[in-house]
Amino acid sequence: MGLRWKKRLMDEGEINRAVNRMAHEIIERSASLKDVVLVGVHTRGIPLAEHLSKLIHHYEGLEVPVGKLDITLYRDDLTEIGVQPIVRRTEVPVDIHGRELVLCDDVIYTGRTVRAALDALMDLGRPSLIRLAVLVDRGHRELPIQADYVGRAIQTSRSEVIKVHFHSTDGEEGVDLLESES
Amino acid sequence: MMEAVQIRHRHLLDLEDWSASEIESLWRTTDAMMEVMQRKVKKVPSLQGFTVATLFFENSTRTRLSFERAAKVQSAEVLNFAAGGSSLSKGESLKDTLRTIDAMQADLYIVRHVAAGTPYQLSRWTDASIVNAGDGRRAHPTQALLDGYTFRRCFEGFDGFRGKRLTIVGDVMHSRVARSNISLWTKLGAEVVLCGPRTLLPAELEQYSGVRRCFRLEEAIEGAHAVMALRMQRERMQGGLFPSLAEYQARYQVTTKMMERAHPHAIVMHPGPMNRDVEIEGVLADSERSVIEEQVAHGVPVRMAVLYSLLVGRGR
Amino acid sequence: MRQVIKNARIWGVTGLAEKADLYFREGVIEGMGLGGEVDRVWDAKGALLAPAFIDLQTHLCEPGFEVREGLESGLKAAVAGGFGTVVMMPDTDPILDDPAQVAQIQAKASALGFAKLCPAGALSRGMQGEQLSDMWALREAGVVMVTDGTKAVKDGHLFRRACEYAAEVGLLVQGGSLDASLCQGGVMHEGRVSERLGLPGQPAIAERLALFRDAEIARQTGARVHFGPITTEESLLLALWLRERGAPISIATTPHHLLLSDESMASFDPRYKVSPPLRPPADVKALRKALTDGLFDCLSTDHQPWTLAEKELDLLQAPSGIGGLETAWAVLYTSLVVPRLMELDVLLRAWTQGPAKVMGWPTPKLEEGSPATMVLLDLDQARPVEEKQLASKARLSPWEGQMLCGWPVATFVEGRCSFLREENGLSREGFLGH
Repeated sequence: MGLRWKKRLMDEGEINRAVNRMAHEIIERSASLKDVVLVGVHTRGIPLAEHLSKLIHHYEGLEVPVGKLDITLYRDDLTEIGVQPIVRRTEVPVDIHGRELVLCDDVIYTGRTVRAALDALMDLGRPSLIRLAVLVDRGHRELPIQADYVGRAIQTSRSEVIKVHFHSTDGEEGVDLLESES
Repeated sequence: MMEAVQIRHRHLLDLEDWSASEIESLWRTTDAMMEVMQRKVKKVPSLQGFTVATLFFENSTRTRLSFERAAKVQSAEVLNFAAGGSSLSKGESLKDTLRTIDAMQADLYIVRHVAAGTPYQLSRWTDASIVNAGDGRRAHPTQALLDGYTFRRCFEGFDGFRGKRLTIVGDVMHSRVARSNISLWTKLGAEVVLCGPRTLLPAELEQYSGVRRCFRLEEAIEGAHAVMALRMQRERMQGGLFPSLAEYQARYQVTTKMMERAHPHAIVMHPGPMNRDVEIEGVLADSERSVIEEQVAHGVPVRMAVLYSLLVGRGR
Repeated sequence: MRQVIKNARIWGVTGLAEKADLYFREGVIEGMGLGGEVDRVWDAKGALLAPAFIDLQTHLCEPGFEVREGLESGLKAAVAGGFGTVVMMPDTDPILDDPAQVAQIQAKASALGFAKLCPAGALSRGMQGEQLSDMWALREAGVVMVTDGTKAVKDGHLFRRACEYAAEVGLLVQGGSLDASLCQGGVMHEGRVSERLGLPGQPAIAERLALFRDAEIARQTGARVHFGPITTEESLLLALWLRERGAPISIATTPHHLLLSDESMASFDPRYKVSPPLRPPADVKALRKALTDGLFDCLSTDHQPWTLAEKELDLLQAPSGIGGLETAWAVLYTSLVVPRLMELDVLLRAWTQGPAKVMGWPTPKLEEGSPATMVLLDLDQARPVEEKQLASKARLSPWEGQMLCGWPVATFVEGRCSFLREENGLSREGFLGH
């Protein structure tokens, strides 16, 4: 099964504007900005978290710590799958106890990744609250989970695939819509 | 930097058929497991739904505990079967023993046995994965993996195994730890120097390229980046393999003084259990050069990575 | 009863393309192409007819270890492998050192009526290596050889006296081919492979030293001493050197030592644990050449049965030895004669005239007046080795699943058809009423 490119949904400028807005929303909604920790989910949640952190520093002059979270060990399909996901290191530089976490990921789809990420975060400590930031919400949730900060909501069909590119992971920036060819 | 690769082995019987990049991938997974072991709550659900059974035909509480911990941290069910020779001495064949245990439907067996090759034999008779936790003189792959991992983490300025030298001192002939380390270190491009009384250093081990024997400790340690002392067992005296502990200590004990000949950052390792002041000087074992405690600490994450790599992705 | 085997290529008599009819009456060969009334006709359909094979080293395990093998299963296996005569080793329980027991076993074997059984007796009482067995009485009871097994008798003095005594009795002695003290705990050949596999090894010199002592004792005492498996090039050279200097010795080797090397142990399959152990490929090569050059007096199977439960242990505990009567001929024929590494004649002699000569028996021939103890070999049809189909109770073979050809299709022992492979090309009707 191959993937066919359909169209570019967001270019670099659109991503920047969306992330900019999300940064403002985070600043606005947090009770205490200095308690905020941005946690990016491997792989493309991390550049989003870093981008947000940079913007918050730009607007508020405050260093918001960024953590990296690998959710592989928390996936709910490990006993069934036929391929072996590579486990990466989880690095959260601060004690998350009592902190306001903003979990960052590129795309929200079924919600299963977020479910795994929430379990992973709980194992690291007891934050005072957790909010969710995603660049793209493509719908089709299988669990009762919603994002608090959304870059853009896009209607998709299940046969379509959203591919997000960031400079640090892919060498360019943009969001593409692809279709799987069966 | 090597790319992480998928590990596609069903068993870990020895390291001979594991590639350098697979070993590196396993160590990267180990890095992730290290982080889990540093948490307050050391529990992840990665092996939930899997059952792991320890089959120790030869007793070893520490190795069994280390594997058991590695499985439980990942939420696997653990069954313990301490064969200890009991049912086998009653004349039950190895195959029949396995058949009985297979009824418990474990996904993976961790096997230790006094006879080399037993994990191979078992792997032919079951669908479960097999991890060799030590078979006779042959192999103890997880020990070598944790020794190599310890060197990778603890050697100051580590920049790969190529051009490094590991000196193994002692009863190499009877040592599965030595054989597995030879296999691992030479695969990664390091040189291995074996040192000890001639009676305990089989010449045929030089068939591995990158391995040489040396009968004088001071020469063997010269320039070494890691020195590993092996446990010296008293029983060997009966077999005429060496005359006395005193003579052994005098010529082959790894000491602080002797370590001055090694590389300035050289580390000292011991697979345990250690005979303090026999094969290794007690002071040295407690010194800064010693990474013996780290070796023990790395046992669990390395074995977590092994279990993860063999179980996840095999499908059901 | 008069019988005829029609359309056989007769080894040593007709050319390979030429077919003839061989007549025999009451267990004795009459001659070829005689014609006349017969009671039974066997159609060989061009199969090769040769004297039945002789094995000088078979373990039949009865009495005492009937779970492993017995006279019936073992002698059936023998005829299925084309053997008309087997020399049974005395390592039963009780040990074969008692003339009455020898007579009993022989009576049972001849009542069974498969291959002819020739017992070897113990060299020392209970094979304990302390006191000589009653060799005169054993000989009178039918024992053809005395031996304490292939591990050398510990006490050199006792072996010397045994040889002196046996020489007077006129019994062949089987010498030792392993010095047990050097083999301590070893489960395979000591060398590169054993070190790699981490399995304790037995040094090759253990064979040479045992051979040297026992052969020198043979030379000194004048006793005829036979050595079971000689398995290394060095011990082969030593045996030849000793023979040149007048040692009255004969030497044999086995199919597994001619075909398998110590590399087989890398599978950690106890099937390959045998004694003496499988040797490195260089030795295997030397043994094959020596066989081709006629340096071995004969071949023997060293058929050593164990139950599956006994063999399916770890390599330290699993016993040494493997069954081989049924596959011995076919596997050597397929591996050596078919690819033209060896002449058919050489291989046939090694299983017929060779062992007869070692024993001092008349040369087996398909001639008038010779016993009609013969084997029909189908040199063309290939069939896989199937452990589960073996007549022996030891249903393990190093050649499991391999396609072999040359299989015996019928074995006659003194005129009586003792084995018949029915699904084969032989006329089925010819065998009815047997």
